[in-house]
Amino acid sequence: MTHPPAEAARKAGIGLRGPHLAAVVASPPAVGFLEVHPENYMGGGPALGALERLRRDRPISLHGVGLSLGGTDGIDTGHLDRLAALVDRLAPFLVSEHLSWSGVGGVYLNDLLPLPYTEEALEVMVRHIDQVQTRLGRPILVENPSSYLRYRHSTIEEPAFLAELTWRTGCGLLCDINNIYVSGCNLGFDPLAYLAELSVAPIGEFHLAGHSINEVDGQEIRIDDHGSAVAEPVWALYRAALGRFGARPTLIEWDSRLPDLSVLLGEAAKADAVGVAKLREAGHVGAS
Amino acid sequence: MSGLRELQAAVGRSVLGQDEPSLDDVIEGDGLAPAARLQIYRHHYETSLAEALKSIYPAVCRLVDERFFAFAAQAYIKSSPPRRVCLHEYGADFAEFLAGFPPCRELVYLPDVARLEQLINAALHSPVEEALGTEAFLDVAVGDYPRLVFRLLASLRYLDSSWPVDRLWLAQQAGQEGAVDLDEGGCLLEIRQRGEEVVFRRLDAPEFILRRALLAGQTLESAAAAALVADPTFDLAMALRRLLGEGLVAGFSLAPTDSI
Repeated sequence: MTHPPAEAARKAGIGLRGPHLAAVVASPPAVGFLEVHPENYMGGGPALGALERLRRDRPISLHGVGLSLGGTDGIDTGHLDRLAALVDRLAPFLVSEHLSWSGVGGVYLNDLLPLPYTEEALEVMVRHIDQVQTRLGRPILVENPSSYLRYRHSTIEEPAFLAELTWRTGCGLLCDINNIYVSGCNLGFDPLAYLAELSVAPIGEFHLAGHSINEVDGQEIRIDDHGSAVAEPVWALYRAALGRFGARPTLIEWDSRLPDLSVLLGEAAKADAVGVAKLREAGHVGAS
Repeated sequence: MSGLRELQAAVGRSVLGQDEPSLDDVIEGDGLAPAARLQIYRHHYETSLAEALKSIYPAVCRLVDERFFAFAAQAYIKSSPPRRVCLHEYGADFAEFLAGFPPCRELVYLPDVARLEQLINAALHSPVEEALGTEAFLDVAVGDYPRLVFRLLASLRYLDSSWPVDRLWLAQQAGQEGAVDLDEGGCLLEIRQRGEEVVFRRLDAPEFILRRALLAGQTLESAAAAALVADPTFDLAMALRRLLGEGLVAGFSLAPTDSI
């Protein structure tokens, strides 16, 4: 992957959501970068103007949720054009999307739905990533999903599926630590073993977020709702990821039950502290 | 289930609320019924769209209360699944839905409150544009004025309501919606971006007719004629000065001479 801007390499970023925009504009926090969902800015409006002003002194990352890379409807070229226009306007240092699909038959299901890991799904993902990267003129990162189900006819393990995507398209990976933990708990795999199966070079970003625990028919299900602080086992997995991959731009995501901005900044500071301690321990950085 | 397309169609129907027994053979239960796992996605679909509607229609929600709004939103979501990815574009016809939703029949003003909120939302997500000053028109010959076609700011919207929806909207912000007299009559509203926010205000009839006609792309001559029908004493020159002075004109062109 290309080198991230110095600020993003040094300090964690935060997901910037609408209710925090005014506070961030009034007093831009000392975070490594700001990540937004491009879909929220596609109409234009004052919020996009504010983001353009913030972009002057903070790296911006665009984290899409609507391309439906795994969808058999094909890429909505109108949506892709709007994304390309935003990329041109904001010059983000990262553009990312998901290993998932979001719509069928022209209906948008507003979720990141799971794919079966088959050759057919791989070909669909590869074709669409190629199309997006060609249109944007740059590589994207693809994020591992949080899953609540798996398909019996999957023939490829998720880390191997992601590896195939990177080899065939040149895309990078957004390694969502919380998603690995949530999916591992829900589907019964070992998150550490999953990490060990991911290649080092394609990883371009880490995501950290909170999740909730629901009981469904007597069974615990972890829901990736981004509505709380990062859970302790996820911090532990983050330390393991830092040990395996080294430092990467790291983001704190918080989308539901949005707290005061200071809480997000506290989580970002914690990510910084965890990162420095772990990387020093692993010998990735010298003491200073 | 032979292929990815068929699988996605079945999962899609399940997310939209249909039972899909065919998926039982495809999804690994891992200790749960496949339907229970699919229900997690269905729940997210319904609740996230209801939240999106609530964020666009907060006044409607407060006027009817949270539980009723959730009930109406659920019915709307069932009848109108999103066709577009950007959620701020979802629910553009929620007002029309409410107008035909039997449990809302008594709340005759509610669809227009929803229309106002939809227009506020649309204005908020419109491109920010620079307004033209009067100097931009120095080269236009006076004889060509009737052929002027203005391009007004992209955020401008107009609402003609039979109800005092502006007062209802403002009153519910203060928790005092009961203080509005519904019999006081309707209003003609202009909605637009101003700086970082969206504002709305009342216009009198000829000004409203003129501006709405100009926004629709009518020539100045045609729009002015419509305004003068509403009020033969309408001062067009002053109205144009206000239009420019308020920074509402983003561009202009001249209609072909044979079109007017």
